[in-house]
Amino acid sequence: MSEPLSNIPRGMRYYCGTEARLRREVEDTAMSVFDGWSYEEITTPSVDYYALFEHGMGRQQAELAFKFTDTDGRLLALRPDVTSSVARAAATLFAGRERPLRLCYAAPVFRQKGQSHAEWRRESTHIGCELIGADGIEADMEVVAIAVEVLQRLELAQHDYCITLNDVEIFNGVAERLALDDSARERMRRLVDSRDAAELQNFLAPHASTDERAGFARLIQLSGKQETLAEARRLITNPRSVAALNRLEELWRVIESLDLTDYFEIDFGDVSGLDYYTGLTFKIYLSGAGTRVGGGGRYDKLTSNFGRPEPAIGFVFDLDALTDVLARSNTSVAMREQDGTVAPLSNDDPATLFFEATAMRAKRERVLIKSGEAVQCRN
Amino acid sequence: MPELIIALPKGRLQDAALARLACAGVRVNGAALASRRLAIADETGRFRFIFVKPADVPVYVEHGIADCGVVGRDVLLESAADLLQPLDLKIGRCRIVVASPHPETVMNNFGMLRVATKYPRIAAEHFGARGLPIEIIELSGSVELAPVLGLSDCIVDVVETGRTLAENNLSIVEVICESTARLVVNRASYQLKAKTVADLIRALGEGVRQETFA
Repeated sequence: MSEPLSNIPRGMRYYCGTEARLRREVEDTAMSVFDGWSYEEITTPSVDYYALFEHGMGRQQAELAFKFTDTDGRLLALRPDVTSSVARAAATLFAGRERPLRLCYAAPVFRQKGQSHAEWRRESTHIGCELIGADGIEADMEVVAIAVEVLQRLELAQHDYCITLNDVEIFNGVAERLALDDSARERMRRLVDSRDAAELQNFLAPHASTDERAGFARLIQLSGKQETLAEARRLITNPRSVAALNRLEELWRVIESLDLTDYFEIDFGDVSGLDYYTGLTFKIYLSGAGTRVGGGGRYDKLTSNFGRPEPAIGFVFDLDALTDVLARSNTSVAMREQDGTVAPLSNDDPATLFFEATAMRAKRERVLIKSGEAVQCRN
Repeated sequence: MPELIIALPKGRLQDAALARLACAGVRVNGAALASRRLAIADETGRFRFIFVKPADVPVYVEHGIADCGVVGRDVLLESAADLLQPLDLKIGRCRIVVASPHPETVMNNFGMLRVATKYPRIAAEHFGARGLPIEIIELSGSVELAPVLGLSDCIVDVVETGRTLAENNLSIVEVICESTARLVVNRASYQLKAKTVADLIRALGEGVRQETFA
């Protein structure tokens, strides 16, 4: 055999000791917050038809999945996301249930390659929730509030995290006004995504007036609070974008009334996942992580793939990215030691030994069986 | 704790990048620079500079070890790093070109073109878009030698003045793109340190504009 068995595939890892405990604690924290907002846990299949993800996530994202074939030759994939499968369940299994549906999950997802070189993992755990069959500002605010509560419960310092908000309809309105074809639209999306204002102005030259170009180039670099909304209104006037700005402003007012504006930024340059999201999008950044640790948004078109169009919104946290940051930080969640000491039990008579041990376990005390002799590794 | 960590490329771009930053009010002490230390603070202590090889600038910024960086567009395209690039600093201007001793044979070659380059990704993308199959011969320096010695049919490389090309009897077949140095920013830093980053972009942008109109 040429490859030593000690090798681990690229992008895979073990969790043990403090990190494993921390990871469990973060997961439990998030799941208890979901439960607190009346979200019901759902476990989806780890393996599913590739076609599900192709329709659910869009071809570009689904292509990142690990693929293999079923006995009948159909293409399968190790799930690269959970949302696709949840959306299918909503349209099929839960078709008859009262709306809205509130579902949550914690499950590993697999992708062959990340968006960025810094996302080196090929297995990561998504903790997320989906609110299906609810529309409007209330539904949007509900999931945003849940995301904030999870971060607050992780006891992160106030300036250590930030949730950025945008609405994809702002970009869509501009693209529609410029009457761009698909490839031009994708090129514009990339320029906006990388905040390349200068190139964007060049790109827009044949499509828009000088003022319009300068305005839009300025918009994509705008990031901030309330004042950015006012500025965006001066720069963008097409009705589709304006409607989106109105929604965003309404949401902002709620955030403001809850005194949560310190945790939020409006970011008009966030245009990833455009063919997936249909309204509000948000991304979660944590100090100490070079890439985002979570994100989500409204995806009203997704469930129509499964024969039942309805509004939906949701988000995920990347458990592993969160754990990495917390493990390196000095937050109390990370510093908390496993509590309680334990006295090793030993007895030459196994019956007595285990009588004692099970009695202690009945009282929920921690036990440690001390073996007579530790067995040495035989090599 | 500095507010921002900025990765600067050692070599060709370093002085021009420092001059741009000085225009924006971010100055480094000359003695500290001369000391050959790889990490130094600016005069106010608000910024820390790290000096790394140009190709490593996107790596440090993408991982969030540095918040910002200055890097040529050529290096950026080759790295395919997922970064924000909010500002063209308009320094280190050059072109990425296809060059060959026999330009006409390159344009009429529909078989397998042998391309020597330090930029395999840019080369593959360029010829791929034209549907031309190529064999990439990756080199780490003196790329101009490859076609002269018969290792390749042409090269994809960066050209400033064109002198090295001329000295090796190579001429430009086509220009793939123009390259200048960009300010690049980590996605998380752009949000988490929004104000500091925005101020830096504005100050640098002001300097670039003044020079362009001067």
